[in-house]
Amino acid sequence: MKLAALFVVILTGAMLIYAGQDLPAFGDSESPAYQHRMTQYFIENAESESGVTNIVTALLANYRGYDTLGETAVIFTAGMSVLMLLRRREL
Amino acid sequence: MAGIIDIVYAEYNYWIYVTLMMIGFYAMIAKKNLIKKVIGANIFQTAIFLFYISLSDIKGGTEPILLHGETSTHAADIIYTNPVPHVLILTAIVVSVSTTALALALIIRIYEEYGSIEEDVILAARRKLNPEFSEYARQSEVDSQ
Repeated sequence: MKLAALFVVILTGAMLIYAGQDLPAFGDSESPAYQHRMTQYFIENAESESGVTNIVTALLANYRGYDTLGETAVIFTAGMSVLMLLRRREL
Repeated sequence: MAGIIDIVYAEYNYWIYVTLMMIGFYAMIAKKNLIKKVIGANIFQTAIFLFYISLSDIKGGTEPILLHGETSTHAADIIYTNPVPHVLILTAIVVSVSTTALALALIIRIYEEYGSIEEDVILAARRKLNPEFSEYARQSEVDSQ
């Protein structure tokens, strides 16, 4: 059983490393994700459009505001589920 | 041989994340203790966080907080690292905390019910309590029909 698990794990790891060979090198400024015009747009316009110097904050609370709203819904659901699971039951 | 070392060194962040992720994956599928499974899931998630954050790194770049005039260099010379993966991972960390909390609450309930967090003990107790739920009974029912 443990050997089967180890086999699956090594196979998956080998596949991931094989797939990773096509990804850009560590710290490469020519990587497509960095050169994409959306990333450059955020870096150039985040302050003028949202007034925050921290670009991550501007992205999280302004451009992706609805996503953050949904995130609070996730936390709320998890908190409610934990409360319901751990509440003392009256017999 | 030198070529292989160069390939590994250029992308060593991927090797680290794959190793971490596989440690977590092994803990999830091979361990019988439910708490250890949750720890495995957390290691798995942390590997994904590290992968995304390492994708956003640029050599010589600063963190994506805008600098104004304190430095003598021109604004155009400052390289900021990619802010988008940071934002995605902030969301992922929140989801990770939520799932961990829910898993631990479920484990507490399981412990109250069965007095154990070992998977095989729980399954044996469950088979004894209601035999109709056991895989063997279900299979023989399927065969008899």
